[in-house]
Amino acid sequence: MDSIYGYYGKQLRVSLDSKEILKENIDASILRKYLGGAGYAARVLYDEIPKGTHPLSPENKLIFATSPLTANRIPGGGSIMLCFKSPLTNAWGESRCGGDFGPDLKKAGYDFLLIEGKSEEPVYLVINDDNIEFRSAIGLMGKTVNEKLKIIREELSDPKISVMCIGPAGEKLVKIATVMFEHRAAGRCGAGAVMGSKNLIGIAVKGSHKTPIAQPAKLTETIKTCLKILKESDFSANLKKHGTTGDMAANDAAGDWPTKNWHSNSWGKAEQLYDQFFNKHLVKNHGCYTGCPIACGRISEVREGRFKTPVHEGSEYESLSAFTAFVFNENIEAAIYATYLCNEFGIDTISTGAVIAFAMECYENGILKKEEVGGLDLSWGNPDVLSELVRMISLREGIGDTLAEGVKIASERWGGDSEKYAIHGKGLEAPAHDPRSGKVLGVAYGTANRGMCHIHPLEGMAYDSGKMDWGLMKYGVPDPNTLDRWDEKGKGKIVKILQDALILPDILNTCKFFMYAGIHLDHLAELLSAVTGWDIDGQELLKIGERVMNLQRLFNTREGFRRDDDLLPERMKQKPAFGFYEHEDRCTIKDFEGMLDEYYEARGWDTETGIPTKEKLLELELEE
Amino acid sequence: MKIKVKLYTILEKYAKGKVLEDNTIILHKDTTLQELTRYFNIPDKIGIVFLVNDSPQNKEYRLCEGDKVKIFSFIGGG
Repeated sequence: MDSIYGYYGKQLRVSLDSKEILKENIDASILRKYLGGAGYAARVLYDEIPKGTHPLSPENKLIFATSPLTANRIPGGGSIMLCFKSPLTNAWGESRCGGDFGPDLKKAGYDFLLIEGKSEEPVYLVINDDNIEFRSAIGLMGKTVNEKLKIIREELSDPKISVMCIGPAGEKLVKIATVMFEHRAAGRCGAGAVMGSKNLIGIAVKGSHKTPIAQPAKLTETIKTCLKILKESDFSANLKKHGTTGDMAANDAAGDWPTKNWHSNSWGKAEQLYDQFFNKHLVKNHGCYTGCPIACGRISEVREGRFKTPVHEGSEYESLSAFTAFVFNENIEAAIYATYLCNEFGIDTISTGAVIAFAMECYENGILKKEEVGGLDLSWGNPDVLSELVRMISLREGIGDTLAEGVKIASERWGGDSEKYAIHGKGLEAPAHDPRSGKVLGVAYGTANRGMCHIHPLEGMAYDSGKMDWGLMKYGVPDPNTLDRWDEKGKGKIVKILQDALILPDILNTCKFFMYAGIHLDHLAELLSAVTGWDIDGQELLKIGERVMNLQRLFNTREGFRRDDDLLPERMKQKPAFGFYEHEDRCTIKDFEGMLDEYYEARGWDTETGIPTKEKLLELELEE
Repeated sequence: MKIKVKLYTILEKYAKGKVLEDNTIILHKDTTLQELTRYFNIPDKIGIVFLVNDSPQNKEYRLCEGDKVKIFSFIGGG
C-alpha cells in the first residue's frame, strides 16, 4: 500500500500456533473512520472474533494499537492501547499503558500488532524493524516483572529496548492480570490473562523508522501551541508536583472516595494518608514516556520496616485508594508495598484492592471462615494480610484461586449475601471514584463498554465536582457551573456527549490528562490534521467517538449484553453508612433508570434493550 | 473574628500572603464561604469543596468564630 501520512499502513499479524508472521497492508478506507487505538481495534475485533469466543481460548485476539499521534514528540503521545475480549467481563476489553512501547512499535514500522492463536511453548517476541523472531520464554516462567525485564534485556544485549511482559499472575491466567511496561500497567480487564493464555510472555520492540508527516511545519507549530498551554496550566504544575495521588484529600472531602467496600463515599483519613505519602515516601516525579512535558508518575519507596520496598515507580491515586480506603487500612506503607507487589506479580491494583475488600466483608460476615483462608485474619483494615493476599491471588494459592476470578465469579461461588458485597459493573471491579459525589459518574459507570470504569471513556466526577468542561461547551455540553453535582435530570444527555469526546484519547492513544490541562478536542484535531494531511475538525472527531462507542457497544450486545447489564450495585446508590455525607440525602441515586432512559434516547438506542437502533447505525455507517 | 483556613494542592497559591503562618485569618463576622473564596481571588469556574469543622458546607455557609475551614479543588484525573 502507498504510504499514508501518520501511518505506516502496516499491521503485524502474529499467529502463535504456526509461528507465522504476516506484514499486512491496512485497509486505508477504514482509517479515517476509526483512526487507531481502541477505534481501529474495535473494528478488527468485531470483525474477527466470533460471538461466544472464550476470552482465554486461542480464538481470542490481543491487539496492541497505536495511532497517528503515537510519538514521543506529540504532547501525550506515549501510550499503547491493548484491546481484546475480556476474561473478566466476557465483553469488550481495553487497557492503556503509558510508556515508550507504543512509540517504539511505531518506529519499528507497524501501526498495529495483532496476536492470535496459542504457542505450544512459552515464548517472547522480538520486533526490530523487519526482523522479527520468537525466543523461548521457558527461563522466564515464574519470574517477576522486573526479573523478566532484566533477563530479556540481557539476552538481547540491549538494556534500553522497550519490553511489555506479563508477571506470574498472567502465566496463571489470573483474570485481573496486567501486561506491564516496567512498572506501568495495562491494568484493567485482564489483558495479562489473555496474553498468558497464548503462552506469550513478553514482547520486545525497537525500530528506526520515522513516521511520514503530511505537514511538518504545521505540526511543529501546533505542538508549540500545545506545549505553551501545558506550561501555563495549573493542572500541569500540580499534576507534576502531586501526581494523581494529590486528589486523595479532595476526593475524600467531595464524597468521591469509596471506603470500606463502598459502605461510604468518604472516610476523613485521606489528608493524613496523602501527607504521609508525599512527605515520607515520595522520591520524585517521573514521566511514563520519554519526553512527557507533565511527568505525573510517582517514584516512591518505603525505606524500612516490614513493608520495605526498593525505590520503584508508583503509587498512583487508584492504587493507594484501593489499598487504603477500599480495605479500610490506615497504614500507608502497607498500601505502597501492596502496590509494588501487584506490579511485580502483574495484577491490577484496582481490582486487587476491590477483591480483598470483598473478601474482608465476606470474612467479617461469616461467609468465609478463618480455616478457609489459610488462618489469615481478614478483619477490616488489617495491613498485614494485604501483601500475602496479593501473592496468593497472583499465584492462585488457597483462597487466592477464587479471588483471582474477580468479585463477580467469586460471589457466584460463595453465594449467600456475598453477591451484595461484589461491587462491579459487567464484572469489572469498581475503581476509586464514587457516583454519590455526582451523578454523571453513575451513568458513565453503568454504560462504560469495558465495565465499571472511571476513565474509559469518561471521568464523570471531573465534570460534576471539578467543573471541568474540556472545551466541550461549544459542542453542546452545559456549563458545569450551572448544574448541581447531585442533580439527576439532564445528566444522561450530558454523558452521551462527554463519552463521545473523551473516548478520543482512547482512540488516538493520547494521555487523557492532557485534556484536563487544556489540550482539547480542537487541538487534537489540529495535531491529527497536521500529521495526516486530513482536514479534520472537532466535530468529525466527535462523530468518530460516537461511532467507536457504538461499535464497542455492538461487540457487547452481540455477546448478549443488554440494558439489564448497565447497572449500578445497590450499595452504590444508597446513603453512606458513615463519613462526611452520612446524613446527606442528595448524594443517593434515586432514579438511575430515568437517567438511563435519557442516555439511551440521546444515544439513539432502544430504551427497552439498550441496543443501538438501525437508524443510528446507518447514521454512523455501522450498518451490517 | 478569627478562623483557620487551609487551601490544598491546586489552590495553595491563592493563600500566599493572605493567611498567617498558623493558617489563621481575620474576617468580618458572618462572612460566607463564597466571600472567603473571593477574598482569596479563587476563580469562580473552579470546582470547590468546603469542609468546615470537618463537615461539608456549601458556599452560602456563614462562618463563625473559631471555625476551621478546608478548601479543596481537584487536579483531576486518576
